[in-house]
Amino acid sequence: MQSAKSMNEYHEQIRESLDDSFLREALDKFAVAYKANRLMIFADIDAKGLIQEIAQAKDEALPRVEELYAQFKAEAEKRGVHVHRVETAAEANDLICKIAKDNGCKTIIKAKSMTAEEIHVNHALEAAGCDVSETDLGEWIIQLRHEGPSHMVMPAIHLSRVKVAETFSEETGKTQDSDISKLVKVARRELRVKFATADMGISGANFAIADTGTIGICTNEGNGRLTTTLPRVHVAIAGIDKLVPNIHDALRIIKVLPRNATAQAISTYVSWMSGSAEHSLNPDKRKIMHIVFVDNGRTALAKDSLCSSALRCVRCGACANVCPVYRLLGGHKMGYVYIGAIGLILTYFFHGRENARHLVQNCINCEACKDVCAAGIDLPAIIQEIRARLVEEEGTPITSSLLANVLENRKLFHTLLRFGKFAQRPVTGGTPFIRHLPTMFLKGQGFRALPAIASRPFRDRWEKISKILPDTGKLRVGLFAGCAQDFVYPEQLEAAVKVLTAKGCKVDFPIDQSCCGLPVRMMGERKAAENTAIRNIRSFDPARFDYIVTLCASCASYMKNSYAEVLAASAMRTEAEQFATRVRDFSSFVRDVLGLGEDDFVKSGESVCYHAPCHLCRGLGVTAQPRDLIRAAGEYKESPEEDVCCGFGGTYSVKFPEISSRLLQKKLDNLESSGAGLLVTDCPGCVMQLRGGEEKRGNKLKVEHIAEFLARRLR
Amino acid sequence: MATIDQEAVEIFKKMAAPVTIKIVEAAGLAEAMAYALDACEKRDICELVPLSADAAPQQSAEARTKVVCAPNLTDKDYKEFEGLGKGKGFTMLRKGMRDHLSGIDMAFTTADGAIAETATTILECMSDEVRLATMIAEVHVVALKKSQIKKTIYDVEDQLQKIMQKGATYTAFISGPSRTADIERVLTLGVHGPLELHIALLEG
Repeated sequence: MQSAKSMNEYHEQIRESLDDSFLREALDKFAVAYKANRLMIFADIDAKGLIQEIAQAKDEALPRVEELYAQFKAEAEKRGVHVHRVETAAEANDLICKIAKDNGCKTIIKAKSMTAEEIHVNHALEAAGCDVSETDLGEWIIQLRHEGPSHMVMPAIHLSRVKVAETFSEETGKTQDSDISKLVKVARRELRVKFATADMGISGANFAIADTGTIGICTNEGNGRLTTTLPRVHVAIAGIDKLVPNIHDALRIIKVLPRNATAQAISTYVSWMSGSAEHSLNPDKRKIMHIVFVDNGRTALAKDSLCSSALRCVRCGACANVCPVYRLLGGHKMGYVYIGAIGLILTYFFHGRENARHLVQNCINCEACKDVCAAGIDLPAIIQEIRARLVEEEGTPITSSLLANVLENRKLFHTLLRFGKFAQRPVTGGTPFIRHLPTMFLKGQGFRALPAIASRPFRDRWEKISKILPDTGKLRVGLFAGCAQDFVYPEQLEAAVKVLTAKGCKVDFPIDQSCCGLPVRMMGERKAAENTAIRNIRSFDPARFDYIVTLCASCASYMKNSYAEVLAASAMRTEAEQFATRVRDFSSFVRDVLGLGEDDFVKSGESVCYHAPCHLCRGLGVTAQPRDLIRAAGEYKESPEEDVCCGFGGTYSVKFPEISSRLLQKKLDNLESSGAGLLVTDCPGCVMQLRGGEEKRGNKLKVEHIAEFLARRLR
Repeated sequence: MATIDQEAVEIFKKMAAPVTIKIVEAAGLAEAMAYALDACEKRDICELVPLSADAAPQQSAEARTKVVCAPNLTDKDYKEFEGLGKGKGFTMLRKGMRDHLSGIDMAFTTADGAIAETATTILECMSDEVRLATMIAEVHVVALKKSQIKKTIYDVEDQLQKIMQKGATYTAFISGPSRTADIERVLTLGVHGPLELHIALLEG
């Protein structure tokens, strides 16, 4: 549970996690295994189709939640259940304590429920004098240690067997062996006693079916069945978002949830409870059953059109499983109660701004979560929206508003960048890296060499370049430079112009273009994001260009996927959509549109490894093209985890250098293990990060943009 | 005679292996019962969990008898089950599971349906005796008719609909023995419920 009161405190907490070597190793192993297992378990299934169905069904159910609740209540009451609805966490806790008191319940057992964690029901029950025991093994371990879950499905993933043995030794008053099967036996023994003697069982619900008044819970351990069977009273806690119309919806959730959560075809136990089942000790032979539906901000979120899709979440935890930041920090620093990308979001909506403020900054926007989400939620987009709201609600940090103002004003921005090349002279030592920047500018940035600003930006070279280009071509291409290439790596653009022109394109560079706007969007500067988008759309006259090509994966995916959304409320929406259809990244353009292949290059024996930029492989779904091009011009050497983020993330690497640096080292370890001498990628941001890292590590790998590599090998 | 989807049966068998379900074939219910009783006989007696600190000292394993239950059989079938178990020295039960929460050796049940693609057995268990028997027992043996096996999870939708429209019901999908991977992601069986799940596939 991230609890930092300030950004500095959050950085301190992050450092603690980074120093935990067990955590590092456990999460590394898990991240790699999960991806492979997930692929296998979805092998015979149309995963995208299933995810789309879940999304659609949830989107249709959400506006009907009142109707579904009324139907559920009527059906469940017919079957002997007391159904309640509460607005807040406090109301939920009061009600549950009252149910315990009214029924004379003192000892309580619980099956895992994120909603119960959300409302902190244990604290309330304990304050009311009850004895509460978790029965899910992981939950029980962390309860004994007074910790919160560090993963939604595997709450104790951060703990070693040795730590668990210590905890169990303390609990049982006997020294326990750290052998895992023995530890599991200890839990079986200790918890069986609690099952046998509890007065009340609390569970969650993975779904609540309106049509038949049924709740369903999925567990692997079977503790859910025991919790809902042994005690004479059963209280189920569910968010109102768990309501679905019918059994088919529930089956669909069962189909996706365990597959996405733990790469299982199904959870070992699924318990379907329609009404109160038999209980042989109660006078009427029926279990006393209550279902408490919790709102706690959900109705408001459902009406929030930009963020309501967060309520599609089925709590599989996959967004944490693939998050490179989670992999480094674990759930205690990458969540409050809810963990991972969905945790960043739900903390803001369920647990308030003060708990979300720092957390929500800790997304590197690599889109790995969006790619695996069981309900197709665009998690990074919602996180960016929340940042924008925080800026509106709390005002802007000075640095961010300065940058926003500068980026909105192209001339000012470019003048500053030009000025930068003079200002940096004392610090570059004549190399292409900044060498001697005063440390106040370099806090935490020592892990990579930062590039110097180019002596002449591309825009100042264009007039001369354009003079020698042919006037005609089979395709008219507008080159979008992006800031990094325009001002830092103009040679990458020159290489691209060489390739494009040689293959029959008429290339132009509209001089009014500016920053794509992604950095200001990431900082939550809404107005600046709109204005930069409008400027760029206006710079590329649709009558003059067949394609808009950019060498920056982030610019490409942002312009293609987000411009229409950024300008959704403006008169420019249609133009934004048209603009987006013409945007192409360099690799897929030269491979798919120009058809470049082996015949176009002088193939060398140069061994080349590849880093897949997040915004190319996930943002645009471009995966085969750059690898095909590398094979056409050199020897492609595969390396592990090519599609994991390099740690750049634009402003992220400045905000969280300690995390960025770890991601970079891991990335370079993987790439160097390929044995290649050259690394190519197709994003200048990644080049900046990777080349800067290699410079510090002794340049085992030469780093190039794929355009430079292809230009060198051009036949 | 109900029809058997042979393809579904094969898928069920294939999916059962990775989730550590033991599959055996049996000509009929009596053969399945005999298999279950035999399996129980061959195993060591179950470990008892002392249910409170002041409970009488645990009897030694030699002094105890194995506890075997079959909570959802019809009267006629239970009689047969009892007959088959006679002479083996078992304590045999249909109800009263709450008196045996410290341990049951084997539970025998008949399934109400099955899903091939997930190796899932469907068990209607409105009765808490059925729920407890199948959770407390160290070994759970299910008799499943091949004709009850449907291929996909959506193929049991109508069946579930009929069950849940009846009124109050408790239905279980069971797809393996009780398992956990909560400590260092190491898969361990029998954390709360059965250590073994056996399915006897019956012709018909």
